[in-house]
Amino acid sequence: MRKIPWDMPLLLAAGALSCISLIALASAAATLNPSLVWRQAVWVGVGMGVAWLMASVPYPKWLDLAPVWYAGAVGLLVIVFIAGTMKLGATRWLTIVGFSLQPSECAKLAVAFLLARSLGHRSAPLSWRDLAGSALVAGLPAVLIFLQPDLGSSSILLAMWLGVVWVAGIAPKQLLLLGIAAAAVTPIGWHALKEFQRLRLLAFINPHADPLGAGYTIIQSQIAIGSGGFWGRGWLSGTQSQLNFLPERHADFLFSVIGEEWGWWGAVLVVACIGCVIWRALAIALRNSESQGRLLAAALVSWLGYQAVINIAMVMGMVPVVGIPLPFVSYGGSAMVMTWTAVGLLQSIHRFGTRF
Amino acid sequence: MPSRLIWFRRVLVAALACLVFRLAGLQLWEGARYRALAERNRVRVVPEPAPRGRIVDRHGRLLAATRPIFRVAAIPQEFSSETRWRWRESAQRAGTVSRAEAFARLSPFVGVPPAELEQRFRAQRTLPFVPATIVPEVTKLQALQIAEAHLELPGIVVEPVPVRDYPLGSAAAHLIGYVGQPTEEAFPVLKQYGVRPTDAVGRSGIEKEFEAYLRGRSGGSVIEVDHRARQVRLLGRREAEAGQTVALTVDAQLCSLIARRFGDQPGAAVVVQPSTGEVLALVSVPDFDPGLFVRQDRRELQRVLTDPQSPLLDRATMGQYTPGSIIKLLTAAIALQQHLVTPATPLPCLGYVQIGDRRFHCWNRDGHGPVTLREALTVSCNSYFLEVGHRLGLERLRAGFQRAGLGRRTGWVLGDQPGHLPPPSRRLTEGEATLLAIGQGEILLTPLQAAVMVGAVANGGWLMRPWVVKQIGERAIEPSAGVSLGWPRETFDRLREGMVAVVNAPHGTGAHAHSDQVRIAGKTGTAQTHVPGRPNGWFVGFCPVDHPVVALAVVAEHGGSGGELPSLIGKAVCEYVAAHPEAVSSPEEAGAS
Repeated sequence: MRKIPWDMPLLLAAGALSCISLIALASAAATLNPSLVWRQAVWVGVGMGVAWLMASVPYPKWLDLAPVWYAGAVGLLVIVFIAGTMKLGATRWLTIVGFSLQPSECAKLAVAFLLARSLGHRSAPLSWRDLAGSALVAGLPAVLIFLQPDLGSSSILLAMWLGVVWVAGIAPKQLLLLGIAAAAVTPIGWHALKEFQRLRLLAFINPHADPLGAGYTIIQSQIAIGSGGFWGRGWLSGTQSQLNFLPERHADFLFSVIGEEWGWWGAVLVVACIGCVIWRALAIALRNSESQGRLLAAALVSWLGYQAVINIAMVMGMVPVVGIPLPFVSYGGSAMVMTWTAVGLLQSIHRFGTRF
Repeated sequence: MPSRLIWFRRVLVAALACLVFRLAGLQLWEGARYRALAERNRVRVVPEPAPRGRIVDRHGRLLAATRPIFRVAAIPQEFSSETRWRWRESAQRAGTVSRAEAFARLSPFVGVPPAELEQRFRAQRTLPFVPATIVPEVTKLQALQIAEAHLELPGIVVEPVPVRDYPLGSAAAHLIGYVGQPTEEAFPVLKQYGVRPTDAVGRSGIEKEFEAYLRGRSGGSVIEVDHRARQVRLLGRREAEAGQTVALTVDAQLCSLIARRFGDQPGAAVVVQPSTGEVLALVSVPDFDPGLFVRQDRRELQRVLTDPQSPLLDRATMGQYTPGSIIKLLTAAIALQQHLVTPATPLPCLGYVQIGDRRFHCWNRDGHGPVTLREALTVSCNSYFLEVGHRLGLERLRAGFQRAGLGRRTGWVLGDQPGHLPPPSRRLTEGEATLLAIGQGEILLTPLQAAVMVGAVANGGWLMRPWVVKQIGERAIEPSAGVSLGWPRETFDRLREGMVAVVNAPHGTGAHAHSDQVRIAGKTGTAQTHVPGRPNGWFVGFCPVDHPVVALAVVAEHGGSGGELPSLIGKAVCEYVAAHPEAVSSPEEAGAS
């Protein structure tokens, strides 16, 4: 068998994003905690190593392990309840020998695996039974994450499920009925939210209604991005970023720093790189004739695409601030390793998939 | 389904296109305006703290209120930066001085060294536009002087802020609790509700337990200012919402009266209304002034925190004491219940009782002779109750005590101690078990439990859940119903006869509580402690005898005989209530009658 090389555009775009992340972080963390850059660099390295490992093994082997991944991820989420460390008022991290692990990141990959495996051999249109089964696969960890409470991460699992069932062939009628059902239960969901989550959603509808709380962040983030103009204010020279106006600027709001210091061209460069990752990943899915691989690729694209779009829209005040990091860019060890793992898996699908 | 993948791609590409479009809108179209906002740092947050809800007593007297004071704050971004080479824009602003310079100029006005101001500034600063408090309180005169000199003091502002005030000082201090800056553990949660690290939140008592109602919601505005710090435009505003008033059932005057009668003697007293369980007074001595925590008077705080007598401890609900003879009321009730004695049967007191190989002495070593139940209560004869306890045995005693609420929390809203009874697994010798009948040995009681217990004697057998918050804002709180002890009325009539004699018979142990103004029933207790010759003195009782409106329990820690100070305090409470009938009825009822 001829050895198929890696998909270079995908790899280069992901690598470029990681480099941009490190450069932007060096500036954002300068007045925050300069050591974040080195830690992030280490995580990029670890992530690339894992990606290489994922890409060197045919993806069906990984799919065979799907139930194990899944059980492990759900187990970790349960442990978070019991032994999680309290951070930022929500229990999201597990501390294992000095490392903070965010189990919700592991859950994303586990759900992608199990969805692809369980829906892989179903013929379109999907039966209600298949829909319910797959909804359960994504729903169980989603509920556990929602209870942490982490609205953002649990919505990612939902988006992933939607993406997979769409590609697997959900009938438009089914989709419509699900939409109506979701609209009907929304008022109940509103009551399940914590008060600060409700405030955030309300602050999105009108940021000026709560200028001190959630709205403050949105106003400051918009000022940061807007003040960048076309050329940006220069690396290390954004007043919004450097003078502590932007909370969480190393993590969820790192894109605002890029927008302020690099300007329009920098922000568009980031969007273009993400577009490239998505485009190549979808091309891999399209080329693959084997349905499990195609679904797995679709799941990974939904995950990365949803996160990227929602994060950037969020920092520009287009959607509520729900705490979703920008893939490859935001600071965070678990997230960085997991996004690179996704890249590795896509490469594996590219290299070992059967082609049309 | 390749066609579906293509749709998928279209959606994502469209989404990314939207983002680029929006970026162009923000950065290219509106870029100049945002640049102006960012460059000049022209956004300022003006916080508007919510006035904290008041705490009032049953007559509406202010126990905790909010009073405006002046504080001095520094606005972080108003100072020229020491690292100015880095931020071209901020260095160019005219009229600014460095923080060190500003603090040096401010120092003489407030009498605080500049280094101390800098230290406080670093500890307090939170968000860039939010002023950091550097002097928590200045006099009105100082405030005026600083305001006049504002041109020399750029970046320094004087602002009026509401602070907690406790007009009655230490009255009911343990109940009210105090406020302070949030603890590190509590802050992450409180932060979600808009609490800032410098805000005062409830740290104990009602202030802590009812924090959510008292806090209200702080407001503020975000404004755009020009280079002279004048407001150009309002970017957003949220009205502050005042906290709700919490009305308690206690009578502040009665609390103060009791505390005065204790003087330097440590102890506690609880006065309840037997029909409802309303707490009319809850006093723990020594007490403290909750205002100390607001003023942050370090020397005084240090004294309170390190005082070996623990003034912060609420002895009334958290202090657990050996009950001594007051428990004889329960022993008598249980024995009557089991028909082990009748009110008329006399038992002989020889001055001692022989149980197994141990001999227990009555406090009267000469013996009281043959005594009936009433007489035994009147003179608090140990022999009688040891004999009764011996006949009852450990299991029946324990079951009866448990039924009367011993060894169990009362359901007190602020949390209380359960007291102690020997657990069923515990093997006690016959002698140890019998001693429980006279309230010695492995048995502990909080003053609150004692008050609930004697309240049940007064109201004919209902254990009431003590409650203290009668209204929050406009919402009245209903007391919960009591739990019946299930003992017949006559049992309590017999106890009452004995208790009347304790106070009103010339040789009764509680004769000091006798009053010409009101007929009082009571029982004293003098419980041995680990300090020889320094027993805990108890008085429990109620008045008026026929239609009890108050029941009370008083304990004097290592304060000698219950017939002395505790009985006198009991008498003082009863006379106060007799002289102020309106004190125990609610204002509406008083108005109706």
